[in-house]
Amino acid sequence: MTLLTRQNLLSEKVGFLISVAGIALSVFLIAFLLSLYRGWDEGVGRFVERVDADVWVAREGTSDFLNAASILPTDMGRDLGRVDGVSEAFPVIVRPMNVTADGKEIGAQLVGYDPESGVGGPHKHESGAETPGQDEVIIDTAFGKQNGVGIGDSIEAAGRSLEIVGESSGGDFVFTQTMFVSLETARDMLGMDDWNTFYLLQLDGGAGADAVIASIEQDFEATGAFESDEFAEATRNRIMKSVIPILIVVLALAFVVGVAITGLTIYNSTVEKAREYGILKAIGFTNRYLFRLVMEQSVVTCMLGFVLGAGGTILATRFVSDFVPQFVTLLRWQDLLMVLGTTLIMSVIAAVLPVRRIANVDPVSVFSG
Amino acid sequence: MSKRIVLEFDHVTKVYTTGELSVHALNDISLAVEEQEVVVVMGPSGAGKTTFLTIAGALMSPTSGRVIISGTDISVLNEGQLPAVRQKMIGFVFQSFNLFESLTALQNVELVMATRGITGEGARERALALLSAVGMEGRQHNVPKKLSGGEKQRVAIARALANNPDLVLADEPTANLDSKRGREIMEVLRMVAKELGKTVVAVTHDLRVRELADRVLWLEDGSFRDISDEPGARGGDHPPDPMAQ
Repeated sequence: MTLLTRQNLLSEKVGFLISVAGIALSVFLIAFLLSLYRGWDEGVGRFVERVDADVWVAREGTSDFLNAASILPTDMGRDLGRVDGVSEAFPVIVRPMNVTADGKEIGAQLVGYDPESGVGGPHKHESGAETPGQDEVIIDTAFGKQNGVGIGDSIEAAGRSLEIVGESSGGDFVFTQTMFVSLETARDMLGMDDWNTFYLLQLDGGAGADAVIASIEQDFEATGAFESDEFAEATRNRIMKSVIPILIVVLALAFVVGVAITGLTIYNSTVEKAREYGILKAIGFTNRYLFRLVMEQSVVTCMLGFVLGAGGTILATRFVSDFVPQFVTLLRWQDLLMVLGTTLIMSVIAAVLPVRRIANVDPVSVFSG
Repeated sequence: MSKRIVLEFDHVTKVYTTGELSVHALNDISLAVEEQEVVVVMGPSGAGKTTFLTIAGALMSPTSGRVIISGTDISVLNEGQLPAVRQKMIGFVFQSFNLFESLTALQNVELVMATRGITGEGARERALALLSAVGMEGRQHNVPKKLSGGEKQRVAIARALANNPDLVLADEPTANLDSKRGREIMEVLRMVAKELGKTVVAVTHDLRVRELADRVLWLEDGSFRDISDEPGARGGDHPPDPMAQ
C-alpha cells in the first residue's frame, strides 16, 4: 500500500470506518445467506437420502417426500416384493398435518414406519426411546427446540394424544420436521387400514435400480418409482426452488449496498481531494498511478470489510441456531472464497466513478491564475 | 564558455478559441533561459502569465512554435508523454504551497520521488538533505498545519527539487507571505539556482522580488519585454513603467 493510499484512508477516519462497516455488513449478509442456503439445501434432502432404501415407490403424480399425497394399497407391498431385483418392500405412511403442542398448532410431517425393521424411521437417536410404541411419538430435536416440548410431553394429532418418548435428529426440513409413530398408530390415527403412502424398496445386490423402476412402472398402474437420490433431489428442489429467488434478490441487494457504500465513500473522498489529485498530476504523477491509488483505497477498504464481515459470519453461523432453530447454516470455505471474489469485484466497481472523476481533473487548475 | 539553455520558447503562440472568438494569450514569444539563471516574469492580470507557466510546465501544448526543456522538444510530445517530462525535468512551486496536509514535510518530499521509483531509505536520505538545504532541518516530521507559511513554501521548494529537475517553475511563490518571508523564499530560490545549479522561472505580481532576479520580463498582451535594465526594475520604491517603451 502506498503512503498516499494510507494517508487518504486515515485522513478521514469516520468515512473510512463507515465504509469498512458498510462492506462488512454487505459481506456478512452475502456470506450468511449463502451459509443458510447451504444449510437448508443439505438439511432438506438429508432425511430422504439417508433412508435405508434404494427405490421409493409412490402413486403417480407424487414425486417427493413433502408432497406426500400418495396412496398405495397395502397388498401392493407383497407384489412389489416379487419384482425381479427387489429384496424387500417396506411400507411407510407419511402425512403433512397440523399437530398441537404446548397449546400451539404446528405443521409437521408425520411418518408411520415399522419399528421392527426401522426402515423409514428416525436417522439418529438422540435421547429417550429409540422406537415408538402405541400412541407414542419420537420428535425431531429441531421440533422440540422450536416448540418448547420434549420427552414426557404430549402432542395432539388427528384427535389423539401422543406421548413424546424420544428425540431424534436428521428430519429437519426447516419449515417442517418429521415426527415418527409406529405404522399401527398411524393407521389408527389416519384411518389408513388398507393404504400406505410409499413403499421403500431394498434391492438385491447387483440389481440395477433402473431396471426395477422400469419394471414397476410397466406392471403397476398409476405408479411411479424413483431412485433414492432422485427422490431426495426432488424433495430438496421443492423447498429450495421457492427460496432461491428470494435469496438471489437479497444477495443482489447486499452486493449493490456494498458497492454503493464503498463507491460513494471513495467518490466523496476523491471529490474532496480533487485539488490534491490535480497537484499530483501537475508534478508528474500519471493517471495510471492515480487510478492505482483509488483502486488501492477501494481494495483495502473492501478487504478490511471482508475480514470483519467474514469473521462475523463465522461467529454467527456457529451460534445462531441456538437462538433461532430455523437458521440451519453451513459455511464452506469455498463459499467464503466466492464471497472474497465478490468483494474484490465490488471494490473494482466502486472505483470506477472515482477513477473517471480523476481522469477529468485538470492539473492546470492548481495554478493561481 | 556559454551556459546551457534549459528553457527555450521558440516563436510560441497560444490561441484560445471559443466559438468564433479567438484570444492570443501568447503571441510569437521567443525566450531562452540558461542554467543557474533566475528569471522573474511579471505582468498585469490576464496578460498570459499562467498560460506561459503551464506551457513551460508541460501541462499544455502551444498552438504553434516549439518549447524545448533541457534539449527535449516537448511540443512534439503527446499527452501521455508529458507527465514523464514533468517528473524528470520540472519542479513546481505554487502560490498556496499545495502540500499534502496529512503528510509530514519529509513525506511530502519523499512522495514525489515515488514517480521515479525512488522509495525507502534512498528517498528518505535525499528528502532530508533537500529539507536541510532549504533551512528546514529539524522540522521534517511536522505536518503542514504545524508550519508557518514561509516554512511551507520551503518544503514546497524541497519537494520541487526531489527529482533533481533542471527547471523550477514558481507560480506567485511569495504571494501568501509577508515581505520578510517573501524575501527569504526568493533568496532560497536564488540559492537553488546559484548553488544547486537549477534554472528558476518565477511568475509573480510581487514587485519586491525583482532585485533577486537575474532578469525581469514584463508580459503583456501576449508578448514579453525585458525590463531588467529599466529604472526600478531591480528594486527601489517604484516599479518600472511598463508603458515607457
